[in-house]
Amino acid sequence: MTSEQQNSKALIRERSKKRRSLYKSVDKAMQFVFRFCGLLAALMIILIVFFVTVRGIQVFLPSYDDPVSLREFLTGMRWRTDQGIYGVFFIVINTLVTAFFAGLIAFPLSTLSALMIVKIAPKRLSNILTTVVELLAAIPSVVYGVFASGVITAIVKRIANLFNYTTFGGNSMLAAILLLAIMIYPTITSMAVVAIRAVPESHELGSLALGASRTQTNFKVVLSSAKSGIFAGLILGLGRAFGEATAVSMVAGNAFTGPTLNPFNLVRTLTTTMLQGLHETVGTDYDIRFSVGIVLMLVILFNNLAINALRRKIESGD
Amino acid sequence: MRQQTDVKLDNAFVVNDLDLYYGDFQALKNINIKIPLNKVTAFIGPSGCGKSTLLRCFNRMNDLIESARIEGEIYHHDTEIHGKEVDVVQLRTVVGMVFQQPNPFPMSVYDNVAYGLRCQGVKDRRILDEVVETSLKQAALWDEVKDHLNRNATKLSGGQQQRLCIARAISLTPEVILMDEPTSALDPIATSKIEDLIIELKKSYTIIIVTHSMSQAARISDMTAFFLLGEMIEYDDTDIIFHNPADQRTEDYISGKFG
Repeated sequence: MTSEQQNSKALIRERSKKRRSLYKSVDKAMQFVFRFCGLLAALMIILIVFFVTVRGIQVFLPSYDDPVSLREFLTGMRWRTDQGIYGVFFIVINTLVTAFFAGLIAFPLSTLSALMIVKIAPKRLSNILTTVVELLAAIPSVVYGVFASGVITAIVKRIANLFNYTTFGGNSMLAAILLLAIMIYPTITSMAVVAIRAVPESHELGSLALGASRTQTNFKVVLSSAKSGIFAGLILGLGRAFGEATAVSMVAGNAFTGPTLNPFNLVRTLTTTMLQGLHETVGTDYDIRFSVGIVLMLVILFNNLAINALRRKIESGD
Repeated sequence: MRQQTDVKLDNAFVVNDLDLYYGDFQALKNINIKIPLNKVTAFIGPSGCGKSTLLRCFNRMNDLIESARIEGEIYHHDTEIHGKEVDVVQLRTVVGMVFQQPNPFPMSVYDNVAYGLRCQGVKDRRILDEVVETSLKQAALWDEVKDHLNRNATKLSGGQQQRLCIARAISLTPEVILMDEPTSALDPIATSKIEDLIIELKKSYTIIIVTHSMSQAARISDMTAFFLLGEMIEYDDTDIIFHNPADQRTEDYISGKFG
């Protein structure tokens, strides 16, 4: 080896040493950035929960100016701000019932639509339908709200007349349910589409090769392989149903008492209770909205746990 | 006339002048072959030679490929399988298939084997229990899974999954089982188990197997067809194909000059 070659080798070694140390410090910096991002996400959740909880709990504490009884709050069947009566129990029931029925309507429709989009429709139609679902998901909730108060309520009013019921201009639980069903339909559908697309083709071929028809294959193999993702869509959809405030408050009617199982009665949901008149009020009526917020978060948490338990039960087989 | 009746009796399939096109590309050229009953027939040849395509003609899986177009005839006994009166779903219960990658459904071992019968409307639990047991026994899997039939089939090893897929195909008591490179995704031990199984199964079923492994074709098959670029170059007893082939190209392929 000539001395020239040796020199150049040493040079390369020197350079790569420098580069290595540069990479090392870049690695370290990036690691710090990633950690910070992760921490930020966790911090935001902690901050929100902490803030809402602290504000929400204070109305029940004896130190509060005009304390509300926690027991009456949790079991109460009336919400009369004007009389200082705050009972959240019927609102929880109303919220659960509306979301449940909205899910009951939207879930099968969404699943079948997704199956149609992925497996049945010809490619062009499937592309069009996918765009439609995406558009539906992108419509702001306040637009859904005006649509509901202008169109859905009118329909509900007619239906009510048909059964000899009266409604308050169509504002009712049924209107809220229909509105929510329409709103969560694109959410569940797009998740189901992703889940069904992810089912390996080999499962389908295996099923068809066993003499199963297309329909049998779609229902027995495709849907059952995709159920995990479809349930994730249901969780997201119901989350939206529980959490939707703006549009629902435009048709729910904010009943004072409840719970009601008559679809033509006015209802009050947790979100509308938090939203309505937020900026025109102070004192207990303002602070107690944070307590309702805690209840809402708990409802969503339990809902998610319940759906996950249901999914595990279905997945483990009958 | 007498001769033709014989042909139909002794053969599971008779293929006459079969051409298959994917769009403009001709994947199979003028194939004529008779698949004998209760024998193992192997299709060999380099990748892209059309052997899997021909295999998928027998249970009309090519129907699922939009661009595929078929000319010519395939007789199963005295029925032309593309005929109008043929129900493709029915055909697939008579002609079962095992794929290259084991593809158990993400459900229990039991439900996998019972799937085909359930699709045919069988609900009686006793019949299902019995068929599941006999199918798994025939597929030499029963002893390994009998204590956890409710376990998810995707938890089984690759070799067990493939035997499960064979059990699934057997559950419908088909006449023919098509196997598309059934051992290419498996290790040598699992492979030899499947090969033993195939030799055992040919007593009751007609088996057509596509394989990349020439030694496998030599070990388990009675008849071998050699394909090249969509043409069937030679078809004869396996012994003859491997020891005394008529065509130079067959000999070159067998002896490893290309592949």
